[in-house]
Amino acid sequence: MPASGVSPTMSSIRQQPFGAAVLVLVWGWLLFLVLAPNLLVVGASVMTRDPGSFLSLPLNLDAYRQLMDPLYLDVFLHSLYMAAVTTLACLLIGYPFAWALSKVEKRRQLLLIFFLIVPFWTNSLVRTYALKLILATNGLINSALLSLGWIDEPVRMLYTEGAVIIGLVYLLLPFMILPLYSVFDDLREELVMASHDLGAGRFATFLHVIVPLTLPGVLAGVMLVLLPAMGLFFVPDILGGSRNLLVGNVIKNQFLDARNWPFGAAASIVLTLTMAVLMLAHRISKQRIGEEGSA
Amino acid sequence: MIRWLPRAWLMLIYGLLYVPIAVLVVFSFNDSRSGYTWGGLSLRWYETLFNNHAMVEAMWNSLWLALSAATVSTLIGGLTALALHRYRFRGKRVLNGMLFVVMMSPEIVLAISLLALFLLVGIQLGYVSLLLAHVTFCLPFVVITVMARLSGFDESLPEAARDLGASDFTMTRTVLIPVIMPALLAGWLLGFTLSLDDVVVSTFVSGPTYEILPLRIYSMVRVGLKPEVNALGTLLLVFSLVMLSLSQWILTRSKQ
Amino acid sequence: MKKLALAALLALGLTGCSSEEPQVLNLYNWSEYMPQEVLDRFQEETGIQVVYTTYDSNEAMYAKLKLLDDSAAYDLAVPSTYYVSKMRQEGLLKKIDRSKIKGFDNLDPELTNLDIDPDNQYSIPYLWGTTGLAVDTADVEEPVDSWADLWDERFKGRVMLTNDMREVFHVGLRVLGYSGNSTNPDEIKAAYEKLKELMPSVRTFNSDAPRVPYLEGETDVGMIWNGEAVMAQETMPTLKYVYPKEGIIAWLDSFVIPKNARNPEAAYKFINFVLRPEISALISEDIGYATPNLKARDLLDEDVANNRASYPTPEDMKNAEFQVDIGDEALQVYAKYWEMLKSGQ
Repeated sequence: MPASGVSPTMSSIRQQPFGAAVLVLVWGWLLFLVLAPNLLVVGASVMTRDPGSFLSLPLNLDAYRQLMDPLYLDVFLHSLYMAAVTTLACLLIGYPFAWALSKVEKRRQLLLIFFLIVPFWTNSLVRTYALKLILATNGLINSALLSLGWIDEPVRMLYTEGAVIIGLVYLLLPFMILPLYSVFDDLREELVMASHDLGAGRFATFLHVIVPLTLPGVLAGVMLVLLPAMGLFFVPDILGGSRNLLVGNVIKNQFLDARNWPFGAAASIVLTLTMAVLMLAHRISKQRIGEEGSA
Repeated sequence: MIRWLPRAWLMLIYGLLYVPIAVLVVFSFNDSRSGYTWGGLSLRWYETLFNNHAMVEAMWNSLWLALSAATVSTLIGGLTALALHRYRFRGKRVLNGMLFVVMMSPEIVLAISLLALFLLVGIQLGYVSLLLAHVTFCLPFVVITVMARLSGFDESLPEAARDLGASDFTMTRTVLIPVIMPALLAGWLLGFTLSLDDVVVSTFVSGPTYEILPLRIYSMVRVGLKPEVNALGTLLLVFSLVMLSLSQWILTRSKQ
Repeated sequence: MKKLALAALLALGLTGCSSEEPQVLNLYNWSEYMPQEVLDRFQEETGIQVVYTTYDSNEAMYAKLKLLDDSAAYDLAVPSTYYVSKMRQEGLLKKIDRSKIKGFDNLDPELTNLDIDPDNQYSIPYLWGTTGLAVDTADVEEPVDSWADLWDERFKGRVMLTNDMREVFHVGLRVLGYSGNSTNPDEIKAAYEKLKELMPSVRTFNSDAPRVPYLEGETDVGMIWNGEAVMAQETMPTLKYVYPKEGIIAWLDSFVIPKNARNPEAAYKFINFVLRPEISALISEDIGYATPNLKARDLLDEDVANNRASYPTPEDMKNAEFQVDIGDEALQVYAKYWEMLKSGQ
């Protein structure tokens, strides 16, 4: 979550009937649809698996002990690696993209944003399969290159890790661009000007003014991409040929195929906690950089 | 910096984003059943599609669900972001944490835990259960988008409004809402997209009486990208383009 | 934008609530496993609307039926082979009143009264099929006629396996001469060791549409379902369906009525409709899998009836094995080795 630092006008909730009403609604929603189901998951993780009714007593920590297997550490690290590469690629593409977008004339921006989203209304699965038509050995790229005579043998692209990354970037890019655009849109031209006036070069301005100011957007974008990238199991399945076992696949298999609910539940809790720690560390380091940058 | 570079970058990325879409549109007119051979122009897949009543019904169900889920989650998510930004209250971290958990939870876990909850409480599986589930997983995305906007926001404006005697509600409505409007719109679009696209959660919390599009598409593409799906993708694209032009038209008219 | 959204909401809301509900049959079935024409004709004749909901694995279907109480009842489902016995034993199914079934006697006696459901008290066979070898004869010379051939060096990076734990281990076990339904941990381990040697050759796993990697040109040899092979041959005549020496994997999908079905009468009507020879024949021709209905076989197109992929000869079915419920303990062993196999350990 973005920093919840105390702002000057931040007021106590007690004096605000409007705010109180909002909070009751939000808390109600989250307690019922987030806390309660998650408590069910925590509960499931300490129960015993039961072939008949999925779960039964007694309570124990067997599921967590099972997780200690180095096999799952490998799976986790590999998933994290794939998600990290995806996020980095999205950032490298999305950052300049969002910047460029914010420089376009105002009245065109909304239209361009829409055009960014429009492909996403045609369903991600359909688009993932369209990528397959492009990347396959008999697909469009290979046919084109072959007929141009640039290659003699079709290049194998489908069912590789590269294909998985391409797919993930393709699906998640807007989730990086939208928050970035939102901060670039807010970036005051005067600040950049002032920096120039004070004699800072382009690079210095970028490093000391633009980067710190856009950090909240970067952070939001990273979270919106990294987290789903860990869990999107259909992309590795479709474009990677199910050869890689990623975290999402393990959890899905445990719930459905192996019907080991306590284990699946424990795995998802540990995953959630690990990501929380990673995000926290990330946030703290970013805040440090931010402070140094503005100091 | 070279002046044309940003624009070239925009065009390149837009181009790449639309290549698979273009492939999809072209192949929707392909007479051949296979996606790897060209069999001449044909409209037969559109005909097949329209004769599939279940598909058409699922499409309406889906659009209705996506519209309502996006709207409800924007409403709640926007308010949540405002509350998180503006007020000091107990359990703020817990609230943040819960939103984080939703985003972190693998979809399959979210799906099964929600299903268990609905069964426990006795909520019928159908539109209501789908709406509750979809709003829940859209919520953090809206909150994050709006928070990102608010964190860069100049604090003197609401202060000034308050000094001028505006109530908290009025201040929110007249000062904050306009500021976060772009973020709300972005959040709404994210929600709409997520809802229209979701397969995993929907598989579990939908009942037999309310079939939605992603589930039908999922079952169709899994068995090998039937050409009807290309036709459907094309129609969805056309639909969104029409919506887009209409909204542009209305916007320009209302400004005049 | 706001006005527009509101207008759209209204318009959708109006179409969303239709006035009168016709009688409905909730059919829970594999995706694309029933021709639309059959559903249309059934509705035309009986006025009962079929709501076709799909699942992609027995596991998903089982989990959902097991978890649901009366809140969303399905009237008819189509589990594969041993899931019938599993669901029957766990009391998830309604007993079928045979007096209401017409045409049961037309069914192949080889496919009724099986161990999974003695005397068919809970299930009526719908379609059956096999998982065998696919060989793209355009790219592969020399006859390939056994599962063991997949281990051949020359197929490195060109093999496809189904993404189905039980089926893949079935192959490993059969190559070693064990039963595909082994519950012996040592045998399962041996199969795992054997399959591990195969992994460098495997290009992809696919249980959604196993014909697709062959059509894409990504793989030349490997596993496939017979119905998928038939479909692939339409555009790729060089793809051959082979019955491996070690024995093919056979399965049978059956209609069952879940215990909390709301409209079992409609379910009976639908089963009877499908059991009509002409309807069974239509389904088999359209889907590419074999119908257990002997009367329907006489009505089939020559091409379909003589296609060895759909309708194997008794010789082909030598050593064939149906999958059976291996019990929970063995399932855990399989699951563990499957994860190790996939994660490359």
